[in-house]
Amino acid sequence: MPLNTQLIGKTYDEIEFAVERDRVNQFLDAIGDDTPVFRDPEAAKAAGYADQVAPPTFITVIQTMTSSQVVLDKELGLDYSRVVHGVQSYAYERPLVVGDVISATPRLTSIETRRSNEFLTIESEVHDANGELVLTARSTLISRGTGGP
Amino acid sequence: MTAQVDFDDVKVGDEIPVRSKVVKREDVKAYADASGDQNPLHQDDSFAQMVGFPGIIAHGMFTMAHLTSTLTGWVGDPAALKSVDVQFRAVVYMDDTIEAGGRITELDPDARTAKLDVWVRLERDGVTEYPIKNSTAEVQLA
Repeated sequence: MPLNTQLIGKTYDEIEFAVERDRVNQFLDAIGDDTPVFRDPEAAKAAGYADQVAPPTFITVIQTMTSSQVVLDKELGLDYSRVVHGVQSYAYERPLVVGDVISATPRLTSIETRRSNEFLTIESEVHDANGELVLTARSTLISRGTGGP
Repeated sequence: MTAQVDFDDVKVGDEIPVRSKVVKREDVKAYADASGDQNPLHQDDSFAQMVGFPGIIAHGMFTMAHLTSTLTGWVGDPAALKSVDVQFRAVVYMDDTIEAGGRITELDPDARTAKLDVWVRLERDGVTEYPIKNSTAEVQLA
């Protein structure tokens, strides 16, 4: 069944998230990155950062929460077992560091049908505690086989 | 901190050093826990088989993390990565060896930035697959 295109433009709840050392270290273990500015607070400070730097895709931790609001929106009619991740883009103003408290507000920006698939795009601007933009994330999820008649 | 790669030392067509790694089941499980993405497609072989795969597949974001580690490792400063735009085009199975790379396509002498085509590829049964292709990144060079 096709997705509910009436929801294009819908803004979901803001999610707040603290960038904690343990989460960053757990993430680094999983991706196998031992770069000193990511791993070591002293190396990060020597390089001019306030604390350990979170790697560029760490923001996926908060996106799991922001996207799930969209994915689980009953009005959208998405069957998660049909969903694959199609596109991911990030535009960075600065790296996240341990101690940042950030907030993200996801918005469903488009639903497009291509052949039998539907492509839904979610954008989130991520701001820090001072209200400064840290990064913009855009994800496109593919709902396989729901675009056909 | 600034980038460790000087703008004056690169040219269009240059490739960055390739980084490869073998994708292990325990790493993908660790990634599910670290990212919070607990989709059974990445953890449960019988679920993956039910939706048409021979076994579990890695998260797209797991593969993208390897690409961004390759980029920040090359440029030498995480703040130098200005943007990255990735398309996921093929799946990654356990014990696949993924190779991340990139090639400079455009240089801006005023901003001292470089645009790159970036990819992640693998060889499986004599066939080359691109889990990430048609993808780009922009970096600030020194």
